[in-house]
Amino acid sequence: MSRWVNRLLSKVYTRVPALSERYGRRAGSFDDVPLPDLSVLRRPVHDARIAVVTAGGVHRAGQPPFDMQNPEGDGSWRSIPQDAPRQELVITHDYYDHTAADQDVNCVFPVDRLAELATAGMIGEPAPRHAGMMGHLSGAQLARLVDHSAGEIVSQFADDAVDLVLAVPG
Amino acid sequence: MGLVARAVEAAGIPTVTLSVVRSMTEATPAPRNVLVRFRLGQVMGEPGNVAQQQAVLRAALDAVPALAKPGGTIELPFRWRRETYPPPVGRP
Repeated sequence: MSRWVNRLLSKVYTRVPALSERYGRRAGSFDDVPLPDLSVLRRPVHDARIAVVTAGGVHRAGQPPFDMQNPEGDGSWRSIPQDAPRQELVITHDYYDHTAADQDVNCVFPVDRLAELATAGMIGEPAPRHAGMMGHLSGAQLARLVDHSAGEIVSQFADDAVDLVLAVPG
Repeated sequence: MGLVARAVEAAGIPTVTLSVVRSMTEATPAPRNVLVRFRLGQVMGEPGNVAQQQAVLRAALDAVPALAKPGGTIELPFRWRRETYPPPVGRP
């Protein structure tokens, strides 16, 4: 029942942007992680290895789906290889209307667009691995994201010598 | 989204964060913010519209050197379908 309601609400929010703006104002600010100084881009964009972190609930079909029963969301994350077969990429996220991204995952996870820009010489290359998570977190699940998942995501990007990260919401 | 971008940036890896909801970006800004007036769930553009999605991606990447202060925002001028996007690059 509650999943059905959440999915319906997500469609309403998608069609009425003013509601999303109102939600954003009510949600308040999150200062669990302070706004840091900007890091220096080590090489120009046309030479950079670029990773994506999406909050659109993207994961591989073989990975555990995000938990939609917990009203605080799911603060875990999934590592997604650049070369994962696209038909294996699925979305579990009841808090936004992902009908469009179900048809074309690049709407929230632009891995094919990165590969094309690399072919055209506009970026260096896509990172070998990206990160999928979900937005709309609160309470203990937001703390889980901040205290655990964020550090693991950072470690993956550091291990892969990523130069630049593109963060995309759902 | 902004909090993860902050953690990545704090670890020394530059980030650029897309958004479709201005109030959320203003409440919890990421280190570099790019606002696009598209729908939730379609921040890169509509499904299958490669030209539009590439244009958003390229504009987001161009914003990296352009945003010099933490928490700064650039708003993209794109008007969804009422826009002529450059032809796609890098396609076979």
